[in-house]
Amino acid sequence: MAQFDAIVIGSGVNSLVTAAILGKAGKKVLVLESRNEVGGLASTLEFAPGFKCNIIHDTLKWIDPRVMTELNLESHGLEWIIPNVVRIALGKNDKHITFHRDPKKTADSIAHLSKKDADVWEEFITYIDKSVNFLERLYQLTPPSVPNMGLSEALSMRSMLGPVFKHGSRGVVDLMRVMPMMMPELMDEWFENALLRSAVATAGIHHLSFGPFAAGTGYNLLHQHTHSGGVFHNIKFAKGGTIGLANALKTVAESYNVTIETNSQVSSIDTDNDICNGVTLVNGKSIKASITVSGLDPQNTFINLVGAPKLNPNFQTQLRNIKYRGSTARIHFALKDLPQINNISAEMMKTVFSIAPTIEYQEKAADSVKYGIVANEPTVEFTIPSFINPDFAPDSKHVLSATVQYAPYHLRNQKWTNSIKEDLIKTVTQMLENYIPNFPTLIESSMAISPPDLESEFGLTEGNLNHGEMTLDQFMFMRPTISAAQYSTPIGNLYICGPGTHPGGGLHCTNGFNTAQKIIKDY
Amino acid sequence: MPEIKKYDAIVIGGGHNGLTAAAYLGQAGKKVLVLERRHVLGGAAVTEEVFPGFKFSVCSYVVSLMKPNVMRELMLPRFGLELLPLESTFTPLDNDYLLRTADGDQTYREIARHSAQDAETYMRFGPLMGQIGMAVRPILETIAPNAIRPTISDLSSGKKLLDHIKSLSSEQFEYLTKLMTMSSADFLDEWFEFEPLKATMSTSGIIGTFMGPRSPGSAYVMLHHYMGDIDGAFRAWGFQRGGTGAVSMAIARSAEHYGADIMTEAPVEKVIVKNGRAIGVALENGDEYGSNIVISGLDPKLSFLKLLDEHDLPSDFVQDIKHFRIRGSSGKVNLALDGLPNFTCLPGGGHHLRGAISISPSYDHLEKAYDDAKYGNFSQKPFMDIILPSVLDPDMAPPGKHVMSCFVQYAPYDINGGWDDHKREAFGDAVVNAIAEYAPNIKDIILHRQVLTPADLESIFGLTEGNIFHGELTLQQLFSLRPAVKWADYSTPVKNYYQCGSGTHPGGGITGSPGEMAAKKILGIW
Amino acid sequence: MSYNNQFTAETQLKVSPFFERTSKLNESQEWRRWSGYLAATNYELTHENEYFAIRTKAALLDITPLYKYIIEGPEAQRFLDRLVTRNIYICKVGQVMYTPWCDEYGKVIDDGTVQRLSEHKFRITSAEPNLEWLQYNATGMDLIISDDSVSTAALALQGPNSRVILNTTANDSLDSLKFFWMMDTKFGDIPVSISRTGYTGDLGFEIWLDPKDALSVWDLLLEKGNPYGITPTGLQALDIARIEAGLILLDVDYISSRHAIIEARKSSPYELGLGWAVKMQKKDFIGKQALQREVAGGSEWEFMGIEIQWSELENHYRNVGLAPRLPSTAWRTSTPLYYNQEQVGYATSGAWSPILKRYIALAHIKSPFAKEGTVLDFELKVEHYRKLTPAQIVKTPFFDPERKRSCPK
Repeated sequence: MAQFDAIVIGSGVNSLVTAAILGKAGKKVLVLESRNEVGGLASTLEFAPGFKCNIIHDTLKWIDPRVMTELNLESHGLEWIIPNVVRIALGKNDKHITFHRDPKKTADSIAHLSKKDADVWEEFITYIDKSVNFLERLYQLTPPSVPNMGLSEALSMRSMLGPVFKHGSRGVVDLMRVMPMMMPELMDEWFENALLRSAVATAGIHHLSFGPFAAGTGYNLLHQHTHSGGVFHNIKFAKGGTIGLANALKTVAESYNVTIETNSQVSSIDTDNDICNGVTLVNGKSIKASITVSGLDPQNTFINLVGAPKLNPNFQTQLRNIKYRGSTARIHFALKDLPQINNISAEMMKTVFSIAPTIEYQEKAADSVKYGIVANEPTVEFTIPSFINPDFAPDSKHVLSATVQYAPYHLRNQKWTNSIKEDLIKTVTQMLENYIPNFPTLIESSMAISPPDLESEFGLTEGNLNHGEMTLDQFMFMRPTISAAQYSTPIGNLYICGPGTHPGGGLHCTNGFNTAQKIIKDY
Repeated sequence: MPEIKKYDAIVIGGGHNGLTAAAYLGQAGKKVLVLERRHVLGGAAVTEEVFPGFKFSVCSYVVSLMKPNVMRELMLPRFGLELLPLESTFTPLDNDYLLRTADGDQTYREIARHSAQDAETYMRFGPLMGQIGMAVRPILETIAPNAIRPTISDLSSGKKLLDHIKSLSSEQFEYLTKLMTMSSADFLDEWFEFEPLKATMSTSGIIGTFMGPRSPGSAYVMLHHYMGDIDGAFRAWGFQRGGTGAVSMAIARSAEHYGADIMTEAPVEKVIVKNGRAIGVALENGDEYGSNIVISGLDPKLSFLKLLDEHDLPSDFVQDIKHFRIRGSSGKVNLALDGLPNFTCLPGGGHHLRGAISISPSYDHLEKAYDDAKYGNFSQKPFMDIILPSVLDPDMAPPGKHVMSCFVQYAPYDINGGWDDHKREAFGDAVVNAIAEYAPNIKDIILHRQVLTPADLESIFGLTEGNIFHGELTLQQLFSLRPAVKWADYSTPVKNYYQCGSGTHPGGGITGSPGEMAAKKILGIW
Repeated sequence: MSYNNQFTAETQLKVSPFFERTSKLNESQEWRRWSGYLAATNYELTHENEYFAIRTKAALLDITPLYKYIIEGPEAQRFLDRLVTRNIYICKVGQVMYTPWCDEYGKVIDDGTVQRLSEHKFRITSAEPNLEWLQYNATGMDLIISDDSVSTAALALQGPNSRVILNTTANDSLDSLKFFWMMDTKFGDIPVSISRTGYTGDLGFEIWLDPKDALSVWDLLLEKGNPYGITPTGLQALDIARIEAGLILLDVDYISSRHAIIEARKSSPYELGLGWAVKMQKKDFIGKQALQREVAGGSEWEFMGIEIQWSELENHYRNVGLAPRLPSTAWRTSTPLYYNQEQVGYATSGAWSPILKRYIALAHIKSPFAKEGTVLDFELKVEHYRKLTPAQIVKTPFFDPERKRSCPK
């Protein structure tokens, strides 16, 4: 008899959510994590003595509200830090645009650069928010199996009608228009100021390998704004760092008797005649369970752990065609002092800064992906996590963490080396120096995390943070493949719950929640 | 007001779609007048003797998408439609080449020379795309339903489409979804490995479009071009004897056969609107013609923003038309030659000169060409789709001489600093230099050169921004959204005013489809 | 008499390494395309002598256009066992297995032979290119697949005298080489592999060699075989022989599921009479689950032989005042079969068997009607008019001589 009802592979936030919900439903759940702590992409790291960083995500853009209530995270240790300034787009000559929680204030900030743009800002927010409304509903659904959708599946999508009644069918049309758009197209319809256009467009390329001129960046922009409550570039911070979310999830899960084993790397997902019956660990131990859930990406789950020879050829084709192409690097700087940014007061520092003067600038940075080189003038977003969570750095010292696009996993005719990473740190240092004049002198130490680093540390195929590109061809019923888009897979009793499933990447936990619901429905 | 001659319908623009609509209406017994601004008919599908003895399909240069039922129903072969097959696609490379011909074994062997796997895959790819084409066809042949306020007939055609989509296999649906959303490079990368093959195939995804092969959305344009259908064979490109103008002339003769009046050098100034209804047109010379129905074959910007007053239209519609993306990205260079180009990689004459010659050695070549244009310059090393019409049809040039048609990307309409004579010549030089890289003798055999920039295409042919498709074929500009939501069924917010150009569903190319469907829509209402 | 001529057009088709000889011998100048190669249809003006060479003497055929792949590596056996429907684990070194292979829906992609060349090395032959499919399914396995189509030339020597010819040519005796086994030997100092296989249903061998030795081997065989009636033979004679032997041909009797486009065109191994080659007790192979379902639910079609009844056929012609007309060569036009006026199948290839003196065909028949002995109506055109004539369902092979399998005492 199986000791556990369900095994969950990986302990990223989605895995923990699936485990917790299943535990809550009375299942006996085992979580297996290969690293020595839970959290996956929400993890922190002491990258220099006394200096901690959020390895990947400094901010939380949105969390599925169902997860918040169902698991009552706030009473399990999750504390929010909610900034009023959500982003500052750094501009030339210290003319920045400040995005506030209050759109009127944002408009005021824009007005310094363009009165015309400031006038339509609130209208733009409403326009985006309307489209996002549809996505929010869509995200809560298990994608239908197409093209032969059954009646019950069609009926299950009726919740989509809510926003239709609210916003009219024009709202659907707007969604259909915006999703396939490229950023300059969307911006042409709204704004003239180059910095504003660029600052908005950064939401369209977040963690993507494509640049703003790619069709479909409209979809990525909307994805970043689901459940944003009408706040453009909405962010929140977790107290104690992003890991606070994972820790709260862990606490909840354990309260539902979920067993979490760290340092337990799975070496294979075991199947017999296309039915999964458990896993085998690297140490040779086999664990049986009637349900196995993988929070890993499709490549790792199927090709590596189930094993290519056990997959049917058609499914294998689909898996092989998933686009990963991680193109995002992270750089963490340990600083002697709090950096001073011209024209930015200290109370505005609890935010995200972006360096991307124009859309064309960002597109040129993205061109480097096509030619397999690291952008020499990348799009950079950075935060000072130690200013938000003082325990991240020793007294009066600070940490600056930057997200850098584009640093493609696939370099042409060469592999990632330490010297390429050093060069990247230099590039970013120089860029930061433009806004923080004494920046080089502040640096005590630094660390770059390249896409191959992400692959080796977190098992992210090609270093893609979203477990597969967030593009329209990998959306909804195509995510991760057309035959595995309902959280169940062609392998019986094997489920997937990571960002490689609908509705994609980020720390929003929707994937894990949807998977758990699907499993509960199936059993 | 002078005495007004009254027609059942007036078609603005003697392009091939306008003429098609006129012919169908004439066939149904309507009295139709076609008004063409230029001295020649055909719009972008036109043949002109640009230099004495040398005839050119000045703008559109190949025919593949023409709907067979239009050819049959309008009896076009009887009126001069003669399509000769383009036999091959030739991609010259630095020290090698890729030559695909009509023969399966030969093509298999040629591709296998570069990649055995690709040769195999290629044999499966063609039929698959044919299947996808079949799956798309019913969608293209449906009048796009009103997505906001569907009528009963919209609902029934919507239901039919839904049933059709449900009848597709999971595989067809998967590939269709991918083709609708991916880049042509990503799509082809799933199938092939030999880059010159992939790059050349991907060019179908960028022709007429301001995108590179790695731009998402270009796969749909590729599919659009795969719908090419001559004699029932998918993806068979053809060349019209006498140039593409002869296609237009065949349609014009068919229209005249059915009683249509056709006037050239008759530029329309305005559509006359009274009480929200179109009642006729006014020419630039002041003449006016009355009509029950007015149909514009021009692009959406011209049809609505130029021929009408904005206050005759609802403001959200004006907004949608203003947002409709028409971006010119291509130019055309027509060369009169003293002889044939001699390709270093495959010297002499042969099959490879009887088809398309594609300057597309790699994705990088195409992407770099696109990058130039993206940032406001013409491509220094452009992509080109070249044909030698006189090899297929000797009447196009004096005996022993040849004409060469080079479709060139990219040449952005919005070039930095604007187009001028100097830039036009520099663009022409870049094109000739790019050809000379593969066929060095070209410089010695050029007798005359005609360079058409997007600005020229706009001023000569009335193509806004020089876009040959009357608007980008992007997902948000297709079907029920082409050119604007609610008005994608050829009707417009102005009663009795219709549209039938490439800016309507199903889009550009010498298809005859918008003209046919607009006419059928109008006749259905009559 | 013959006309001295010179064909000068350069062919755009592939030519085999034997072409220098076969082109000179092809008096009819009739060629067919076979996998992009020029292949002789018949060498003489009619194929009759070549047909009888297969059945009474020895026929030499250039079969180089077959696709051939080498699969080598520690996991080659595991790979092939998963790929094909037969049990490769029991295939010994030196053994050859005929087998179909399927897609995951249990529909046949191709059929061919698997030769076990050594513990970790196999050769698989196929009618269509299969490199893509092989590579695809080899993901994550420790083996190398190489295209051997051009690097190995092949001849078939078929007919009752084939063994004696090889015994006089080869350094080793072939007397103990059993049906569907192979051996390495030499012709003088030329190394060759000889398998006791073929596509004629007769005693016969296939010879696998380095293309550089092609002309020497050809010359040697013609020289040594001359006293035994060796005859260069083309595809027309082969086509009759393979129908007599009940052997299927891709793209004639069935369509590869990789190219079929529509479901109705695809066939399972059971629907091609190859059920015997599907080893359900194997742990796993591509298509197993679908085939299990098919076994449980029954196949829609069966593949059978039919024999068009002579006297009724003769009567049809007698009625219009003609002696019976028979096809002089094998035909490949799909021909309807009826039972009580309802179409219940179609014949895909047929021929007049000169050795059996019977008009035979291979046919797809809907399972409920496919019982041996059942008489169906075969559509026949007699002087432009369609007639129905009885055809009885029979087992294949139509022709199955004892010598095909036996070894000399």
